[in-house]
Amino acid sequence: MTVRLHKLINRPEDLVDEMLQGFCAAYADIARCGDNRLVMRARPKARGKVGLVMGSGSGHEPAMLGWVGEGLFDVVVAGEVFAAPGPENMLAGIRAADRGGGVLVCVSHHAGDLLNAELALELCELEGIDNVEMVLLYDDISSAPKGREAERRGTAGLFFVWKLLGAYCEGDVSLAAAKALAEKVRDNTRSLAVSLSSCASPVTGQAMFEMGADEMEIGMGLHGEKGLGRQKALSADETIDLMLPPLLEDLPYRAGDEVLVLLNNSGSLTLMELFILYRHAAARLAEAGIDVYRCWIGPYATSFEMAGFALALCRVDAQLKALWDAPANGAYMKQL
Amino acid sequence: MTRIGATELQELIAALAARVGAERDRLNRLDAALGDGDHGTSISTAFEVAVIDIAALDEPSLSAIWLATAKALMNRMGGASGAIFGIFFLRGASLLRERDSLDKAEMAALLAAGLAGVKARGKAQVGDKTMVDALEPAVTAFARADDFSAAWSAAAEAARAGAESTRDLVARQGRAKFLGERAIGYIDPGAMTVALMFAAVHEWWRLTRHQ
Repeated sequence: MTVRLHKLINRPEDLVDEMLQGFCAAYADIARCGDNRLVMRARPKARGKVGLVMGSGSGHEPAMLGWVGEGLFDVVVAGEVFAAPGPENMLAGIRAADRGGGVLVCVSHHAGDLLNAELALELCELEGIDNVEMVLLYDDISSAPKGREAERRGTAGLFFVWKLLGAYCEGDVSLAAAKALAEKVRDNTRSLAVSLSSCASPVTGQAMFEMGADEMEIGMGLHGEKGLGRQKALSADETIDLMLPPLLEDLPYRAGDEVLVLLNNSGSLTLMELFILYRHAAARLAEAGIDVYRCWIGPYATSFEMAGFALALCRVDAQLKALWDAPANGAYMKQL
Repeated sequence: MTRIGATELQELIAALAARVGAERDRLNRLDAALGDGDHGTSISTAFEVAVIDIAALDEPSLSAIWLATAKALMNRMGGASGAIFGIFFLRGASLLRERDSLDKAEMAALLAAGLAGVKARGKAQVGDKTMVDALEPAVTAFARADDFSAAWSAAAEAARAGAESTRDLVARQGRAKFLGERAIGYIDPGAMTVALMFAAVHEWWRLTRHQ
C-alpha cells in the first residue's frame, strides 16, 4: 500500500516547535506554550491541588496536546517525533505542574518514556523537589500475555486514565490517592489495535515500515511494533469479531459490567468506517450482557496517516462514571 | 601521548560527531528496519549540539565536556536512545571532577562507569540486540590493552564485531523487542552507532597522536 510521503511541513528540524506554536495560537483560551516544549493550561488550577504532567513523543496528535486543559492535564511536555522528551524538559514540566499539592508524572509504558521519567525524578531528588510520584500506565493486551500486564505498552486505552484522573485531580485529593485512582482506571482498561497501512515519518520522508495492500495486523503498536501477526484484511464485522473476544477475556469483562468504549482512529480511517465498526462492537457487547455507559469515537492517539483503529474498554463503577461526566475542556476533549 | 586532557577530549567528541554525522543516512536506513528510521538524524543532530555547547563552555574541564555531551544527547535526542547514550556520558562525568587529564587506566574506568550506567538503567545485557552488544566488548578490550594506541584499536575492532553480532539476534529490550523475529537480519542501529564512535576515536588517535 502506498503511503503519502510528501508532508506539508517546512524544515523537518522545526516541525515540533512550529506545531506547538500553531496549536497554542489556535487554542490560546485553553493552552499556552512555554520554554522546553511545554504546553500548559492557559489558567492554572487552584493552588494546593495535585498537578498532572506527562511527556509525550510528537506525531500522535491530538494526543497529548489536546488533553491539556481544565479537568485534564496541567502540563504536557512534547518530545521529538515518536521520542519521549528528555529529562531536563520533563523536570521543567514537573515544576510547571506543581501547584503545591504534589505532582503525578504519568508514564505511558514505552522504554523511552519510562527512562526519561526516571531520570527526571532523579533530577527532582538532586534539586530537592519532593512530593513527586510516577505512575506507569499500560493497556495493550497484544504486547505481553495476561499475568505480565506490567510489561504491556501504553496505547489508546490510556485515554480513559487521562479523562478520569484529570477530573479526580480537580478535587481536593492527595498525591497518593491520585496515583491510586490512575492505577484503578488502568487496571480496568484493556485495548487492542489493528492496522491496515504504514505511515511516513516527516523527519526522514520515508515510510516507517512496509505493509501489503491487502494485509492487516491485529495488535500493532502506535510505532509499528509487531502485533499478533499479519493476515489478510477482513470486513468490519469480521475484524471486530477477531478483536473483541480476546479483549473481553483478558480482564475479564463480564455480563452486568458497565464500560466506557473508545474507538480510536489511528490516522486515516474514515468516520464512516468507525461507525460501522462501532455498530457491530455495540451489538456484540450487548450480546455479552455488557452495558456501554458512554463511548467516544474519533482521533485521539494517531500515527500520522496510519490506517487503523484501537478498540478500548474501561470497566466503570459509580465513582468512575461520575468522573467521566465531570467537566473537561481540552482542545480535543470536551465534556460539558 | 600518554594522557588525554581537555583539549584532546574536546577533539574526541568532535571526531565522534563528525563520524556519526557522515553516517547519518546509513544509520537512518538501519533504523528503518527496526524503528522509526530517524536514529541517524536524531543522534547526529544531538552530537552537533554537543560540539557547539562544548565550544561555548567558559571552563571546558573534562567533566564539563562529558556533561555537555550527556545533556545534548538526553535533551536534544530524547526517547530511549537519547537517555541511554546520555547516561553513558552522565555516569562518567562524576569521575572526571577535579581531574585535568586521564591516563589509559583512568580512561578505561571512565568507559566502564558509562557501561555500568547504561546496563543498570537500560536493563540490557549482551545478546539483547542493543548498543550494549557493541559497548561491552569495546570497554573490555580497551581495559585489557597496554596503552592508548593498542586500546583504541582493540576497542574499535571489538565494537565492530559486537555490532555485527546483533544481526542474528532477536531484540529483548527497546522498541524493537516488539518486532520479535522480524528483527533478525538487521544490525541494531544503536550498536552500529557505538561501533562508529569507537572507529572515529581510533582514527582520530591514529592520525593525530600516534606519531
